[in-house]
Amino acid sequence: MSTTVDRPAAPPAPHGPHEEPRGVVSWITTTDHKRIGILYCVSAFAFFLVGGALAGAIRVELAEPGRQLVTEQTFNTLFTIHGTVMLFLFVGGFGNGLANYLVPLQVGAPDMAFPRLNALSYWFFAGGGVLILLSAVAAAGGGAAMGWYAYPPLSGSGFSPGVGPDLWILGMALVAASSLLSGINVITTAFLMRAPGMTMWRLPIFTWNAIVTAMLGLVAFPPAVAAFALLFIDRRFGGHVFDPQGGGDPVIYQHLFWFLGHPEVYILVLPFFGVITEVLPVFSRKAVFNYAGFVMATLAIGALSMGVWAHHMFTTGVVDNPFFSAMTLLIAVPTGIKFFNWIGTMWGGRIRFAVPMLFAIGFLLNFLIGGVTGVMLASAPIDYQVSDSYFLVAHFHYTLMGGSVFAIFAAIYFWFPKAFGTRLSEAIGRWVFALLFVGFNLTFWPQFVAGLRGMPRRIADYPSGLGFETPNLLSTVGAGVMSVGVLLFLVDVWTAFRRREPAGDDPWGGSSLEWATTSPPPHHNFVTLPPIRSERPAFDLHHPELDPGAGR
Amino acid sequence: MRTAFRLLVGLGVFGLALGTVYWFLTSEVTGSVLLWSFGLMPLIVAAWIRRRLRAGGGSRPADRPDAVPSAAAGEVIGSFPAASAWPLFLALALVLAGAGLVYGAILLPLGIGLVAFAVLGMMRESRD
Repeated sequence: MSTTVDRPAAPPAPHGPHEEPRGVVSWITTTDHKRIGILYCVSAFAFFLVGGALAGAIRVELAEPGRQLVTEQTFNTLFTIHGTVMLFLFVGGFGNGLANYLVPLQVGAPDMAFPRLNALSYWFFAGGGVLILLSAVAAAGGGAAMGWYAYPPLSGSGFSPGVGPDLWILGMALVAASSLLSGINVITTAFLMRAPGMTMWRLPIFTWNAIVTAMLGLVAFPPAVAAFALLFIDRRFGGHVFDPQGGGDPVIYQHLFWFLGHPEVYILVLPFFGVITEVLPVFSRKAVFNYAGFVMATLAIGALSMGVWAHHMFTTGVVDNPFFSAMTLLIAVPTGIKFFNWIGTMWGGRIRFAVPMLFAIGFLLNFLIGGVTGVMLASAPIDYQVSDSYFLVAHFHYTLMGGSVFAIFAAIYFWFPKAFGTRLSEAIGRWVFALLFVGFNLTFWPQFVAGLRGMPRRIADYPSGLGFETPNLLSTVGAGVMSVGVLLFLVDVWTAFRRREPAGDDPWGGSSLEWATTSPPPHHNFVTLPPIRSERPAFDLHHPELDPGAGR
Repeated sequence: MRTAFRLLVGLGVFGLALGTVYWFLTSEVTGSVLLWSFGLMPLIVAAWIRRRLRAGGGSRPADRPDAVPSAAAGEVIGSFPAASAWPLFLALALVLAGAGLVYGAILLPLGIGLVAFAVLGMMRESRD
């Protein structure tokens, strides 16, 4: 059963009834991009809770030397599944969810270009996620324990004989397929389904970032799936592609994996750069500063990120370190431009410190530390010194947890009223922010210190007297503080659904098109579309006294 | 459309150039092939967009900065399915086929059969 949708004319075309099942069935059979977006975000958050629980176990294990909460093998499974879940299922899944929910609304389209394919991409994601979780628990004695990048020979059948790694590989292949389908949908929707007047140069920055993210996914995932398939053949069918004893080459796996792996970190951060660029102008009551600069910087980050993969392989000794160092350092330039523009957007604005804005500012501070330590790591001599140490762990948690996850919370507080028609609590939200910000920095700042003192990552225990005790204890306390913050957030969501105070269609004074429709938006999104005369159509609609696009 | 075309061509040229520079610097095969294919992929889409542009697709209301909403009134955007159980079914069938690869050959034919059934189901539904 399908409905043919026309562009709404002015005066508004009456919206006919649509045939949808009700209850749970309506959710599992839905092809509506908004519901799929919500499914993505809720599942991703559930994966976050699982990944967070695993991180909690890791932190308790490492709180003091000599403590053995779990066996060393189980510890290996803990960090493997923690990494995979947080990267591909939580941050990646949430980014996909936001793109699903927001891109059609922001471009003025009734749905994604291929709604059934969109539903398929969600179910691939969910199925892949379940397989990845099963790879830890349903594989007694052989859970996936080879680290999230599964380097052979460690991930080969010799060192990882159980079925855990096989399930992990299949799960990853499904998640990759989901990303590809989602990417095709986002690009087609943004290129071909824009509303009249919504030219590419008026697209909201979030949509631009979603486009570049989707492109990165389309280019980067296929080589990784090839690598996983070859690894599977090596493991199950006696192949020798990555087995040096059989004439294979394990470094090829690293090339194929990191050709995904590095763009993947941009896949995990670009949508959230977009979120921050949506939040900052609204709460600074200004138009975004240097719109074209944001777009060009996003494109530059996307393009350059394809040429930096082997900076993860500096210590193999078989890659061209100067080439990859130079390319990596270059990425700092467009990222710096973005920081400049974010500050420019806030500069001179009348800033409201609402919860989304607090998380956005938290993002700026944390991500800056993650970015600067990234520039340090781009220098091969420093990388040789701190490779595989806790310095690295602290660096990428500052980018992905302090950066992307803070932006995820900003996004939740910002778009929750749009998606559900009710607001989260400002008072509780401030506490959530405070606990997460303090807890996060307490957890990960000491890990820079532990790393510089020489603590290697992926160890279940460490000797005393090397200066590792205090940083690790602080880290564990910080993880506890963050857990309280996350629990408080869940309380906030629960109470918001109980209160159900109507939020209004545009509670924040938003700029992009989603704020010009109802909260939650109707089926097929818009009953009428406002004229689009600038990159801030909702603002223009609500402030007809101003010239469209004024204030740039 | 023109912006999308320029964007994709720019990306493609960048990928091909970067791959070539990388090849001359390193002579490393894997990375060069990956970079060249990164360059080729956007060019395929760019070629398709060029065909549409030549067929007059560049003057769509979405590409005109001064277009009013009624410019596209009545334009059929597409046909949108109301609900479908096939995506869930196909994903479950694929998980089953995957489990067949890991746990035993008995599940594999069943999984492949269900995948085929689900693909056919989705195709038939999309014709409605």
